[in-house]
Amino acid sequence: MIQDSKSTDNLDTIKNKINNIPAFFKNTLSSTDKRPLVGWFCTYTPEELIVAGGFIPVRIFGRKKLIKSESYFPINFCPYIKSSWESLLSGADNLKAAIFTNSCDGMRRFFDTANKYLKDTPSYLLDVPHLRGAGSIDFFANSIGNMKRFIENLNGKKISNKEIKNAIILINNKRRLLKKYSQISTKLPELISIFSYFKVMELSMISAPEIFTDDLERYIKFIMEVDAENMTNLQPNYKNTPGIMIIGNFITEEKLWGMLSTMNLKLASDDLCISSRYFEKQIELGDDSDFLNLTAERYLNKPQCMRMADHGLKLKEIENNIIKNNIEGVIFISLKFCDTMLYSFPLLKQKLNELGIPALYLEIEYNNFSEGQLKTRVQAFLEML
Amino acid sequence: MCIKDKLKTRVQRNLNQKYIRRLLNIIAKKPVLYAYGSTFSSLSDKYLNIFTIESLRNAYSNNNHPIGYGSLFLPYEMFHALGITPFLPEVMAGFTAGLGLATQTLKEASSNWYSQDLCTFHRSASGAVELDVFPKPDFVITTNLACDAAQKSFYIHSVKYNIEKNFYLIDVPYEYSKESILYLTGQIKNICMDISSKSGMKLDTSKFKEVINLSNEFRKWAIKVNNLRKTLTNYPPYYNGLNFILPFHGLAGTREAVILYNQMYKELKKYLDKEEKEKSGKNKSPKRILWLHLKPYYKNEIFNILERENCRVVFEEINYIYWPELDPERPFESLAKKMLSHFLSGRIDNRINVILKAAREYKVDGAILFSHWGCRQSNGGARIIKDSLNKLNIPTLVLDGDCVDQNNSSQGQVKTRLQGFVEILNS
Repeated sequence: MIQDSKSTDNLDTIKNKINNIPAFFKNTLSSTDKRPLVGWFCTYTPEELIVAGGFIPVRIFGRKKLIKSESYFPINFCPYIKSSWESLLSGADNLKAAIFTNSCDGMRRFFDTANKYLKDTPSYLLDVPHLRGAGSIDFFANSIGNMKRFIENLNGKKISNKEIKNAIILINNKRRLLKKYSQISTKLPELISIFSYFKVMELSMISAPEIFTDDLERYIKFIMEVDAENMTNLQPNYKNTPGIMIIGNFITEEKLWGMLSTMNLKLASDDLCISSRYFEKQIELGDDSDFLNLTAERYLNKPQCMRMADHGLKLKEIENNIIKNNIEGVIFISLKFCDTMLYSFPLLKQKLNELGIPALYLEIEYNNFSEGQLKTRVQAFLEML
Repeated sequence: MCIKDKLKTRVQRNLNQKYIRRLLNIIAKKPVLYAYGSTFSSLSDKYLNIFTIESLRNAYSNNNHPIGYGSLFLPYEMFHALGITPFLPEVMAGFTAGLGLATQTLKEASSNWYSQDLCTFHRSASGAVELDVFPKPDFVITTNLACDAAQKSFYIHSVKYNIEKNFYLIDVPYEYSKESILYLTGQIKNICMDISSKSGMKLDTSKFKEVINLSNEFRKWAIKVNNLRKTLTNYPPYYNGLNFILPFHGLAGTREAVILYNQMYKELKKYLDKEEKEKSGKNKSPKRILWLHLKPYYKNEIFNILERENCRVVFEEINYIYWPELDPERPFESLAKKMLSHFLSGRIDNRINVILKAAREYKVDGAILFSHWGCRQSNGGARIIKDSLNKLNIPTLVLDGDCVDQNNSSQGQVKTRLQGFVEILNS
C-alpha cells in the first residue's frame, strides 16, 4: 500500500501518535470536576438540561460482569440493560440521579426496576414521542419541561433560561466537533483507527463537556496539521478499499472495534446511537427564546433511532447516506433481543437489495462476544466485496 | 374426526387466501354457521365462534368496505364508526397456532429476515402476510400501547401491500395527563379524518355515537361478567377467558360484542345459581388462580393439568375493564382516555395495581404469569410482579413458554413446573 519505507516509518509514527487517545484526552480523563453526575441511557435525552442544572451528564455504559442483574430480567432481554442495571446496583457510577426514556419496552421495564429497587438514586423517565411533527414537538417540549423540574428538584435550584442557552451552546459545540472529527476519520481511515474513533465517541458521552470539547478541539487541530503537512504524500492507497457503513444500536464493544481496526476496512459512514445519531443536528438558536421547544425540535428531528414510527424515513436516511458516502457494503450489528433493531432489518435488507449493496447481519451480546467467529464472518464479507 | 379437526386439516393442506375465503363463505352461511355454533358445549363459545367467523368472512370477502389491519390494543370503535372491517393480525397469529399453521408461517418469517428472538405473534402474522394468507388491507393502523412490536411489524405489512401512506401509528404517551389526552385526541381525530377522506366514507357523527353507545353497553355486560366471576368456580365445559381476545377488542362498539357478553353473563349466572344451590361443602374447593398475560393457542395440556390438580383460573388480567365509560358526545377524547387508561401503558405500577386488585377481589390462591417468548414488556416486569404478589403471600409461577410456537415450549417441563406450583399452593 505505502510505496517507500521512509514514508511508512513516518506514517506509523503519526498513526501511533494520533491513536494515542489517552494522551490527547489527558485533561478529560484526569478531570477533577466535582459536579455531581446524572446518568442517561438514550440519545433522546437532552443533555443540555442536565448541564444547565449544574450536573455532568454521563451515559451509562454498564460493562459490568453480570452477577445480580440476571435475577431481575429474563434471559432473552436486552444485554445492555442488564449490564447497566448491574452497574447501577453496584453503585459504581456514583450517580445523583438516572434519566431514562421510553425508548423501548426494555427501557421502560428497566426504569420500573430502577424505580422499585434502587431507592437511593432518584430516577426519571422522559416521555419521547414516536412521531415527528408539530403536535409531537409541542408534546415533547412539555415532557422536557417535566424533566427540567425533576432536575431542579435534585438540587433545589431553578434552572434559568440563560443557563439553558449556555448549555445548548456548549453541547452544540460538542456535537459540531464530533461531527468534524467523524468527517476527518472518514477521510483519513489509514490514520485514525476505528477503535480510536469510537473511543473518542465514548469519551464524549461520559465526560464533563467543557473539558472534553477543549481536548477534542486540540486533537482535531493536531490531526488537521498532520493532514495538511503530510497527507498529500502519505495518503495510502485506500481508494480501492470498499467503503463500509455500520448500522446498529448501542454497540460499544471495544474488542469489536479493535478487531475491525486490524482489518482492511474503511468505515465510511455509520448509523449508531453511539456516534452519528448522537452528534448529528444542532439546536438552532435564533431569536426564539423558547429553548425547550427548540430542544424538542432538534431531538425529534435528529437522525432517528429505529424506535421511531416512520421507518420509511429511516430507510431514506440510510439510503442517502449510502449514496453520499459511496458505501459498498453494510454491516448491520444489533445487540441481541433489541426488537426495534431486529424489526428494522427485513425492510433494510430489501432496500439494500434494491440498491445492490451487500449486507452482513450480526447479532451480538454486550460485553461478551466470540471474536474468532465474528472475525471470520467479517473477513468473508470483506473478501466478497 | 370431528368437524373442527376436518376444517383444520383442510386449511393446513390448502393454505391460501382463495381457499380460506371459499371455506368462510360456506361456513358463514347462516344455517351452516348456527349448526356449527351448536357443536360448542357452551353458549359463550358458540357466539364467540359465530361472530369470529362472521368477522373473518367480512374481512376475506371482497365487499365494498375497506379492510383495516389493526393491532390488539386499538380502540376498535373508530373502525366500526368509519365502516372499516377490522382484521387483527396478532389475533390471527393465535389462529395460526390453533390451526397448526404456525410452523409454516414462522418458517416464512425467518426466511424474510425476522429474527427468531422476536415475538411469535408478530413473526407468525408476518409470515402469513408474506405467504399472502391474509386479506389485503386498505389501511394499517397500529399503536405502541403495550409493546414495540406491533408498530414495527405492521409498518412492514404496509410496505408489503404498498400502502405506506395508509399506515398510521397512534402514539400513546407514557403518562396519563391533560397534555397526553390532548396529544392523543388530536391523533385519533386526524387519523379518522384522513381515513374518512381517503376511503370516501363520511365520518358520521350519529354513527360514531351509536358505536360509542354499543361499546358502553358491551362494557356494562363485561363488567357484570367479571363481577360474577368473583364468586364463580364451576364454569361451562371448555370455557376459557383467554379465548375472547377478538371480541373484547376487535368487536368493541358492535352489537355482536353486546350479544356475546350478554349471553356470557346469562350463562355464567346459571352456573353460579346452580353452584350456590348445590353448595354442600362435600367437595374440596379448587385453588383459585389468577392468569397473567396470554396462553398457548395450540393444543396443550396446561388447563387440563390445572383441572386435574383441582385448580381453576378464576380471572385473567386481559379481561379487566380498564377504561371508564365513553362519552358519546366526545368520541375522540373518550377513545384517547380509553387508550391512556390501559394498564399496560406507562409504568408497571399500573399493571401491578390491576393485578393486586384482581388478586384481592377474586380471592386468588396463586398467580401464573405465562412468560411468552420474546414479550419484553411483560417478561421484563416479571420480577416486580412476583415480588408484589409475594407481599400479599400469593405464590406466583412464571411459566416460560410460547403462545404460538409449540416447538419453543417443552410440554414436559411445563407439566413439572405446574405440578410443583400446585404442591406449593397445597402446602
